[in-house]
Amino acid sequence: MLFLFAIAIAGMIAFEGVAAARDPGYKRSVVRYDVPDVVLVNQDGAKLRLRALIESGKPVVLDFIYGTCTTICPVLSAGYTSVQAKIGPDTRKVQLISISIDPEHDTPKVMKGYLKQYRAKPGWDFLTGSREDIDRVMQAFDSYVTDKMYHRQVTFIRAQGPGEWVRIDGLLGSAELMSEIGKTSKK
Amino acid sequence: MTPRRAPSVPRSLLVPLAALLCLATLLSAGLSPAAGEGASVPGLSRAETLRLGERIYRGGILSSGEPLTAVVQGDIPVEGTMFSCVSCHLRSGLGSFEGDILTPPTNGDILYQPWDSHIETARLRRGTMEGTSKQRKRTLFYLTRIGEFPSRPAYTDETLADAIREGADPEGRDFIGVMPRYPFGDREMAILIEYLKSLSKDPSPGVTDTTIRFATVVSGEVSRKERDELLVPLDRYVRIYNGHLRRKTRKSTGARAEEVVRLLPADSEPRLVSLVVWELQGSPETWRGQLEEYYRKEPVFALLSGITTKEWRPVHEFCEENAIPSLLPITDLPVVSETGWYTLYFSKGYYQEGETAARHLARTEAPVSGGPVVQVYPDTPEGNAFASGFRDAWNEGGRAPLLEKALPAGTQATREILEEATGKGRRSVLVLWTGAEAIPALNAMTGGDGGVSTIYMSATLLKEGLLAVPEALRDKTYITYPYGLTDTGPGMMYAKKKVTPQITDRRVPGKAAAIYPVLTEIFSWLESNYFRDYMFDIVDASMLVVASPFERITFGPGQRYASKGCYIVQLSKGERPELVRKSGWVVH
Repeated sequence: MLFLFAIAIAGMIAFEGVAAARDPGYKRSVVRYDVPDVVLVNQDGAKLRLRALIESGKPVVLDFIYGTCTTICPVLSAGYTSVQAKIGPDTRKVQLISISIDPEHDTPKVMKGYLKQYRAKPGWDFLTGSREDIDRVMQAFDSYVTDKMYHRQVTFIRAQGPGEWVRIDGLLGSAELMSEIGKTSKK
Repeated sequence: MTPRRAPSVPRSLLVPLAALLCLATLLSAGLSPAAGEGASVPGLSRAETLRLGERIYRGGILSSGEPLTAVVQGDIPVEGTMFSCVSCHLRSGLGSFEGDILTPPTNGDILYQPWDSHIETARLRRGTMEGTSKQRKRTLFYLTRIGEFPSRPAYTDETLADAIREGADPEGRDFIGVMPRYPFGDREMAILIEYLKSLSKDPSPGVTDTTIRFATVVSGEVSRKERDELLVPLDRYVRIYNGHLRRKTRKSTGARAEEVVRLLPADSEPRLVSLVVWELQGSPETWRGQLEEYYRKEPVFALLSGITTKEWRPVHEFCEENAIPSLLPITDLPVVSETGWYTLYFSKGYYQEGETAARHLARTEAPVSGGPVVQVYPDTPEGNAFASGFRDAWNEGGRAPLLEKALPAGTQATREILEEATGKGRRSVLVLWTGAEAIPALNAMTGGDGGVSTIYMSATLLKEGLLAVPEALRDKTYITYPYGLTDTGPGMMYAKKKVTPQITDRRVPGKAAAIYPVLTEIFSWLESNYFRDYMFDIVDASMLVVASPFERITFGPGQRYASKGCYIVQLSKGERPELVRKSGWVVH
């Protein structure tokens, strides 16, 4: 019986993962966040004030990933790669930010290697920091997880109003992400 | 095709279910006529086919040597250099779970089985579920959800190829968007399918019908005290585990026994654990031969911990080459590697202390006067480990050249040597990887204005001599301290929180105690899936919070050093100095 039960569970998981009978798409909402004034470290070992990076005046896209992530981050990061490929040679005109949710493992060296893997160009910063500061940032974006394996697939796009962000729960395609970035910049 | 989102499922539910799933994987072996026979790949031997298949699966590299290309989420192009099959399905092929994305198994034994009858079985099972315990609620949740998902027939080579290319199951239902669509040609597809059929098919060596065998490696020079601190509790753990397995009961008295028994496998014919000690004698150069001989006589599934005061490299290389997992050996001299897979260490040991000192200095958290940075270390395995860690981290940022002085083994760091190395009057930063015997020379040469501005040393080298750092040097001396500062468990360097430093040791009891919960996690989820790669897949996905002498140890996919941190401390003033924390646990 136990064996059969195990098989049954196996079947269920297979279907959930492979052929989920759910609606496609993602959930979009506009929210206000108070970003903490923390200093984080990027892939080059440079200290950066998160607020300054976010308030640079450029379109800003932000997500939470980690360097050895298995499933979610590769798709999020491939999305960033596709954005940089589409915005033309001046990749700095859109600020892409990835914040580590595994800051103890994600050293600048690890983050640099990760960005190289995704052919990241200037304008994409991968940030790490103290566990306390990273927790504050996750909490500020209503994305706190107690363990990296509880990771959520969320993307944030800086909107025009003070502290305003477009929050996207779920994974997007390249055209969808470009469209969302376009919407926030046109306002 | 339309990308679809996976339903939301907490990970805590998946792990046991994945284990059950993997039980199914093994038990279903041999039931499918298609599985294991493999597709024919013209011009390739089976061994070559599997080698190329592994390269596609793990490395994202096609047989041509070019990276594979694919599309995710409908229109995002990806290459094999970014990620490949192994990223989500993991080395064992038995799948993963992260956030709310479930990745199912992709090994032949599961793919070539239909699901219909299993879904019905789960529905029946759901009807028998009662109770309100947390675990039952979780299971019930899953059983409720199962009705939402349609069945599918077993894959064939043809429908599997279509699934990989087009992203749909044999019934034509689309996969979710995170599953890449791979435009493989026929040859690449045949190679990959052959490889998938071989994944997690036969149990790994070291497993018999009744026993799963492990070994613990102990080198001859280890003291009786440390040897017993590791082996006695390990042996006790195994005896308790086997005792309860024999009785096939889940009830127990005694807290420790309960901890072991709580997660006993649901396997109907569980294997007893056999643990043997592999004693290594003589110089490390001879260890490899001794290991091969032990393994030839009696193959083991994995190595459980182990202990040496020497370099772990011969054991590390033996495990890499034979694909034998080695779990949490006690060594200060591990192999520091970005590509090693089969040994999970507690930390990078001495190397990690060196790294931390360099990062701390580079972040200019210590007062630096602009003088040169000089590293002095004994030319021994220990000294070189500290020095390598410092050098590698220091050179990461293209900083000013590092001056170095390696002392021949057995040479004491005298005042003259230190002054010559640092350049008298240059206000150098001195990184000194010696024990407390160098402190008098250090004290003498730093007096007046001819001294160094900043000193880095190691608590694990200073040992009890940490107290010998004179008061005049304490402000400028930064000490690497690789353990927790607040824990008070067994084997801690200091008996109480923030009190006078006492005896330094390697904290073997504390490390040994940290191994048990990891073992319990492995044994409970391994079920009947006696695949070495699956063992590490379990640990990599673990969210265990393990008490240890370290401030924190964590696991993660492919991460092979559980403790990522090391404090920088100073001594406070006074006759009974306390440790004053000067950095976070991890210095970036």
